[in-house]
Amino acid sequence: MIADYRCSVRKPDDFDEFWDDVLAEAASVPLNPQTAPLPLRSSDELETFEISYDSLDGVRVAAWYCMPRDRPGPLPAVVFMPGYQSDPAIPKDWARRGYAAVAAAPRGKLRSNAQFNPGYPNLLTHNIIDRNTYSYRGFYVDAWRAIDYLLTRDEVDPKRIGVAGSSQGGGLTITTAAMRPEVKAASAGAPYLCGFMDAIALTSSYPYQEINDYLRLHPHSREDVERTLAYFDGISFADRIKRPIIMNIGLQDNVCPPETGYALHNAIGSEDKRLYAYDGHGHEAGRYKHAAVITEFFAKHLQASD
Amino acid sequence: MGGIDMDFGRYWDDTLNELAGLPAKPEVELLPIRCADFATMYGVRLTSIGHYRVFGYLSVPQGAGQFPAIYFTPKYQSVLEPIPQGAANFLRSRFVVLALAGRGQRLSDEPYSAGFPGLLTEDIDDAQGYIFRGIAADGARGLEYLLTRPEVDAERVAVIGNDMALITAALGKGATHVICQPGLFVDTLALAARTGDYPLEEINDYLNLYPEIRERVADTLRYFDLSRFAPRVSAKTLLMSGAPGSLLDAESLSALSESIQGDLDVYESQSSSYKDGLYQEEWLAREFEFAEAILPEHWR
Repeated sequence: MIADYRCSVRKPDDFDEFWDDVLAEAASVPLNPQTAPLPLRSSDELETFEISYDSLDGVRVAAWYCMPRDRPGPLPAVVFMPGYQSDPAIPKDWARRGYAAVAAAPRGKLRSNAQFNPGYPNLLTHNIIDRNTYSYRGFYVDAWRAIDYLLTRDEVDPKRIGVAGSSQGGGLTITTAAMRPEVKAASAGAPYLCGFMDAIALTSSYPYQEINDYLRLHPHSREDVERTLAYFDGISFADRIKRPIIMNIGLQDNVCPPETGYALHNAIGSEDKRLYAYDGHGHEAGRYKHAAVITEFFAKHLQASD
Repeated sequence: MGGIDMDFGRYWDDTLNELAGLPAKPEVELLPIRCADFATMYGVRLTSIGHYRVFGYLSVPQGAGQFPAIYFTPKYQSVLEPIPQGAANFLRSRFVVLALAGRGQRLSDEPYSAGFPGLLTEDIDDAQGYIFRGIAADGARGLEYLLTRPEVDAERVAVIGNDMALITAALGKGATHVICQPGLFVDTLALAARTGDYPLEEINDYLNLYPEIRERVADTLRYFDLSRFAPRVSAKTLLMSGAPGSLLDAESLSALSESIQGDLDVYESQSSSYKDGLYQEEWLAREFEFAEAILPEHWR
């Protein structure tokens, strides 16, 4: 049964120690947030800003930030995580719904690639040989620090912050919900970066195919690759998630195998979790139907003040 | 109308003449990491108008050719995919595949690096300088180059993409099939007014800040409307429309579909990347007379 699928990844014994060290290193880097108005992308109803902040290794990270002009009180906020290939869209639609909304562009994305630019394809295997050099070590921290940016904003209610995304954005949602206790609710679609080593056997499509390409050229590195990825696999993070979370997957997903979605859901630690599995749907994971579910979920968990 | 069409023809004839005046000067480099036992991958650089070098991924099946070809035209995104995300990598065992990054996309971003958002309105108030004039030339150059490859069976050449697929098939020679999913150049100003989603929202942003140049923007966009390219398309075409009631549903595309000269199939999206993608793969397999499509694992 696909619903009972278990991925081969095993959480390393020193997983928490590894990430505690990364977070300690990141904490030594001041955020230095900047918020620049973007009149071109603003209107009578909402304001848009191009923001940036410092992250691990001193990399400067960009993001979009939107909020409604009419702000009767502190705003709930949502961080939107980007897909693997796409660049983050300006989250105007969520500002129109009354949220402060950040769309993060971790290192390597446009506007965050002056100091780090491994390219696409390539990000997935960049320096994959070692957990301390792997591209996603900094990439994850860049995404998590979008929460720190929100915490600097007077208009944001720090007790009502959510995180959402699909595909890579779904994977980043998982790690962010796991690592940042400020996240009150999370929505992860078609999560990528979960069950890596299973995914490369279950599917022959890019972007997971990048790992197969790498191993074909470097077959002797397989153990090192597997060892590294265990520290970055969303399934290794999942038991740390304690807040409400919803997931949506497509049962014919040709990019992020649904088997890995089930394995992830089974591993999530929260008691308030729900999986929406859409039969007849691919990597879009039923988003045309599911968009309303996400809207309602965040309205329930973030719109009402405690 | 006749005058406008003459002007449209002159605009694109001038563009193609400019392209013809510049040799492509291809540089082809093996990319070992993307090679497999069933296909070889190369990086290709070509010159387009403005002496601009653009990049493409070229995959050639192993074994004796010739092979049918798929040309993935420039997309509206920064990233260039060797083959589209989600497609079975084994497609490369059957088809010569060329995927091209138009100017501004990664790997074709020197000296111009496009913003997303931003590309759609880059110099849009000047028809001659509008970035998509260059991107259209890039697309045509890619098709022209693909057809120079000795491995390609010129009787089976599919051009696949969004708006650029139709524009490329109209401007270039040699496409036998087109699969087009329009997204931008269908009565663009009216289309943008009906949505708040990017990339069309770029048009709304731009006109909101610079309302005085609306007419100049409209003038430029007249050279890019797909319905005006359509009479030049003689290849068998699959038009991928949106789901009923969506922004670019079959009804919204009726003027375009009626203008396409060649045989036409219109597919209405079922709001499922699986169902839509499966239809497209099976359509192409049928057209190229293969018994079965090569599908990703979860579509079989």
